[in-house]
Amino acid sequence: MIDVGNINQAGSDNKNRPSLVGLKKGNQKPVSWEKVFGFLLISPLLLILILTIGFPVISAVFSGFQDQRIIGSPSAFVGFDTYLKVIEDSSFWDALGRSGLWVAVNLVVQTVLAFSVAFSLQQNGRWSKSARTWVVLPWVIPTVAVAIIWQWLLNSNYGVLHYLFGEIGVDLGSPFGDPATALFSVIIVNSWHWFPLGAVVIYGALSTVPTEVIEAAKVDGATPGRIFWSITFPILQPVLFALGLVGSLWSFNVLDSIYLITEGGPLEASTTAPVYVYDLAFSEFRSSQAAAASVLTVLVLSVAALLFVRFGRPKEDA
Amino acid sequence: MTTFSTKRTSHIGNLIVWTKKLPNFVSQLVVTIVVFAPIYWIVMSSFKGPEEIIRSEPTFWPETWTFGNFERLFTSTKYLVFLGNSLFLSISTAVVTVLISLGAAYGLYRIRVPGSGRIAGVILLAYMIPGTLLIVPLHQTLSGLGLIDSLTALLLLNVAFTAPFSTWLLRGFILSIPSDLDDAAAIDGAGPVRTMFEIVLPLLRPGMATVAVYSFVFSWTEFVFASQFVSRQELQTLPIGLSAIIGQYNVDWGLVLAGVVFTMLPAVFVFLLVGRFFIGGLIAGATK
Repeated sequence: MIDVGNINQAGSDNKNRPSLVGLKKGNQKPVSWEKVFGFLLISPLLLILILTIGFPVISAVFSGFQDQRIIGSPSAFVGFDTYLKVIEDSSFWDALGRSGLWVAVNLVVQTVLAFSVAFSLQQNGRWSKSARTWVVLPWVIPTVAVAIIWQWLLNSNYGVLHYLFGEIGVDLGSPFGDPATALFSVIIVNSWHWFPLGAVVIYGALSTVPTEVIEAAKVDGATPGRIFWSITFPILQPVLFALGLVGSLWSFNVLDSIYLITEGGPLEASTTAPVYVYDLAFSEFRSSQAAAASVLTVLVLSVAALLFVRFGRPKEDA
Repeated sequence: MTTFSTKRTSHIGNLIVWTKKLPNFVSQLVVTIVVFAPIYWIVMSSFKGPEEIIRSEPTFWPETWTFGNFERLFTSTKYLVFLGNSLFLSISTAVVTVLISLGAAYGLYRIRVPGSGRIAGVILLAYMIPGTLLIVPLHQTLSGLGLIDSLTALLLLNVAFTAPFSTWLLRGFILSIPSDLDDAAAIDGAGPVRTMFEIVLPLLRPGMATVAVYSFVFSWTEFVFASQFVSRQELQTLPIGLSAIIGQYNVDWGLVLAGVVFTMLPAVFVFLLVGRFFIGGLIAGATK
């Protein structure tokens, strides 16, 4: 009875700050049933995250202080030796650098693709209406299938793209087999797989831009470029920020496309950080070293993410 | 004379209309080709016979249609077993993710438990740690739990990697439901549980559908965990089965492409059914 009375008052008397009133009254009864219920609702997610992320992260940090080879084999404590081994391995830093390149080029290619597609989705007409749904198809196709599709299209013996480019006098060679082009070719494939998600989100954000404002700017004689940078872009900024952060993390994390197409080769030309870690653990069977490399990578990644948040976050008052 | 000139102006008029429409038309054509051409090509190729499929001058329409590739897919591989596993895993991932992220989002953004801002931060932080970097320690954790070589392990991992993003997506939906509704329910004497189930949840249906599709697709395409933590063939999912076909000595492209078509189909089918809601939901959730 008392409980209901509290909520009652919170709801009706003080519309501006209902939670504050609720808390004050709550002092008589330290924890309200509602809050307990809230914690109960959150706890399954927290439990799963502790089990599948928290616990493994801690175990990776410890494993890095050991010298385990095959997972599960006996190991000894070796201090910082394993971490040092990773730090002194130039392939580790090369892989991180390649990851940086991978994330940056993916971000650029996908942003350009997503923006241009988003603009055409915004048009009126039957095409745009239907495209808003089917444009997501490449994302729905499993990565394995995407990898095979592009290997088939670009196959240097029977690939149709190879053939078509040959007809206009361009020899594509074998884009995944040449160290100079392998990483970039996989980036194209990965971008094809992922750009739809960005396109749809940007399209959604574009439709929140008030058309009256744009019309007014047009009347005042603003150029399309000016309109984009002064009106559209500031409105899109929060969405682009979130998309850029989440998208970069997702693309950093990509292992399957790369591994399925090039296995990190040729000559490590497409060995990004996740591929490097994966190879250490499952081809070279140095699981402690792989764990140490993971920990170091997460540290580097956190610094990068912090910098991104620090400098990329849209100003609150804008 | 006069007829001639009117004809000319109308030509010029047409030309102006055309040049205005042209960039639009070209970009629509390009997007259509970028999305559909690869899919078209795979589907066409999968109906070609063993000789036609590897011809150096490819045919854009099969000369002779054959179902041989699909026959081999169903007889020489365990496609149906893989399909069953994938369906089971993806559907259960979708259900569990919806339940868990709904609870979390409701607790964090509706009830606003004390410290909810910090908890949301921790969840996002956990989400930022790349899953592929955790394979080694995950292996130890899962074998400690006795879950290696089980679909339960994959379910657990898929949920762990879809629920944080889903919670964030649902945030947008929850914030768009006016809190006056809760207050009104409270006045009517509804407790927090009843308010959640009878007032708010029905309004969250579009959000739940979005999360369900997202986690279904994630699980349908997931490769790394499925390849590492399950080794028994009768438990493998479609992506693993498909990569095993291509891994065999001489690539049988016909068989591989038939496999690709039948790996895409179920996901495409699901998407055609509910895709519209998903797109709407993604937009609503992400732009709030």
